[in-house]
Amino acid sequence: MTTTVDEAPGAARPARRAGRRRTKMSPRRRKEALYFWLFISPWLIGFVGFLLGPMIASVYISLTEWDSFTPPEWVGLENYAKALTEDPVFWKALWNTFYFAAISVPLGLVIGVWLANLLNKQVKGRKLFRTFIYLPTLVPLVATAMVFKMVLAPSGPLNDLLGWVGIDGPEWLLSATWIKPALIILSVWGAGGATVLLLSAMNGIPRELYEAAEIDGASPWRQFWAVTFPQITPVIFFNLIMGLIGAFQIFSQVYILAPGGNVGGPDNASQMMVTLLFQEAFSFYHFGYASAVAWLLFIVILVFTLIAFRTARKWVFYETEVR
Amino acid sequence: MAVATPAPEQAAGPGGRRAEGDPGKRTLSVFKASPATYAVLLVVSALFFVPFVLMISISLASDQTSAQNAFTVLPTEFEWSNFTAVFTATGLPVGRFVLNSVLIATLSAVGQVLSSSLVGYAFARLRAPGKGVMFIIVLATMMIPAQITMIPQFLLFKELGWVNTYLPLIIPNFFTNAFNVFLVRQFVSRISGELDEAAQMDGLGYFGVYRRIILPMMWPILTAIAIFTLTFAWGDFMGPLIYLNSEESMPLALGLQYMTSTSNAMQLPPWNLVMVGSIILTLPMIAIYYLGQKYLYEMNLQGGSAGVK
Repeated sequence: MTTTVDEAPGAARPARRAGRRRTKMSPRRRKEALYFWLFISPWLIGFVGFLLGPMIASVYISLTEWDSFTPPEWVGLENYAKALTEDPVFWKALWNTFYFAAISVPLGLVIGVWLANLLNKQVKGRKLFRTFIYLPTLVPLVATAMVFKMVLAPSGPLNDLLGWVGIDGPEWLLSATWIKPALIILSVWGAGGATVLLLSAMNGIPRELYEAAEIDGASPWRQFWAVTFPQITPVIFFNLIMGLIGAFQIFSQVYILAPGGNVGGPDNASQMMVTLLFQEAFSFYHFGYASAVAWLLFIVILVFTLIAFRTARKWVFYETEVR
Repeated sequence: MAVATPAPEQAAGPGGRRAEGDPGKRTLSVFKASPATYAVLLVVSALFFVPFVLMISISLASDQTSAQNAFTVLPTEFEWSNFTAVFTATGLPVGRFVLNSVLIATLSAVGQVLSSSLVGYAFARLRAPGKGVMFIIVLATMMIPAQITMIPQFLLFKELGWVNTYLPLIIPNFFTNAFNVFLVRQFVSRISGELDEAAQMDGLGYFGVYRRIILPMMWPILTAIAIFTLTFAWGDFMGPLIYLNSEESMPLALGLQYMTSTSNAMQLPPWNLVMVGSIILTLPMIAIYYLGQKYLYEMNLQGGSAGVK
């Protein structure tokens, strides 16, 4: 991040006074500091009360066995060991989450870039197309999930449609094979969010670059890869990171689409990290085990974010580097 | 205003943008739209729109059609009475669901706007030892997934007797969140400091500068934050699912799910009414987006570029 922390304080003010070096602050500076802490107190209280405190508590709870009714029982790392070695559902949930993230995020990005590139051309009715593509991202997830649950019912509209062309549609949400693809289709419906961001990034690319490429005889395809793509990599990267974090935390759609209140779906085929965590905590009152799952989820997200940042050096292009 | 706000149309405008206003320049080959471009855009737009058409046509289907699951893609029936029936015929307090959603979303937005403007202002303008460290902590907290704190927070709110009230969904918003602090801080940093310097000379205190000078200039970013919070709180499913269990207290997002699950396994949910509910859930979000589009766009830009670099 270029946002350096020390850029802000003096930025708006003129010269820094010599008094800065003094160990003892002037009354004026002391008053300013006091106001600073006063002003940030809402965040500070929230940080301690709703984040830091709960985080510490979460570590402790994950090392105990606790149903919140009887006193917690210290079990050390047993919950983590249970998740990693004994509980087949944990591995299934982890695999399903990977599967969902590994397909839905790149697929959404490819579609997003593709559509943005098409919309970036001189198309008549661009605004209308853009609206159609962006509209799905405005629909609350619950409403989306309701429509898809309806569409994907065994005798629902999608299978009717497939029936017309002679395909015997699968049972989608009731089938262990098809529930994950169904969730991926649902998430791709929201690809328009990335499209709009990418489109505005494409718009910032200087026309001169294309003119130069054109003179050199580069085809539009070549121009896309040599000019457009490198210039939008920062936005692709941003969407990749946000998409990955979001995908690993998938919950509401799964909860709503899974048939008959069975959160894991058929044969746990749609059991995700967060649905498992939710089920363990709020259905079975296994607060210790659920907290351990939460920390494992955190580690998974952290590892993938770090990997993404590591590889970013190789493919994300920042203009400032060249200058 | 210190920050130029590009209108979304302008910013997401044509690729050969300069060619359009300037007839002297021809369209570059890369910006030429072929019939294939139109074909793809048409097909994709149509596919993306199908769920909306279905939502509307099912919402207008009769109860019989709904019970037989015999829906058509394009509406063939027009049972407009479904739009009133959803409030009376489901056996659930759907009107109350809507009110609850409005209440939770509005108060959450008020909380975020108040707290993030105060905290963001302080991080942008006031100097204090330890500020740098605090800001690094703000940034670091963005990386903590909500699931880590979900269980201890639940236990805390349960201890406080807040379960089955709106408080767990509303109160944390009055303590802001890292992302909003970051947005406000970035925004205020770009406002020239001359005005508050002058105001301070005239004897205005720090709160006065915030209240009289900075706050009136912050409204674009605060509008964006309000929209963002409204959208999130309105559509939130997991929070209400954890904290609210009586029908009377549910917001619409949770109430809809409840509507589909009350019927037993053999019986189909009243899909026509569920789709009416989905439309009621969706329309305000579309309206808010179109009203506040340009502020949202600004936030995307700031959050977007700031998030990457």
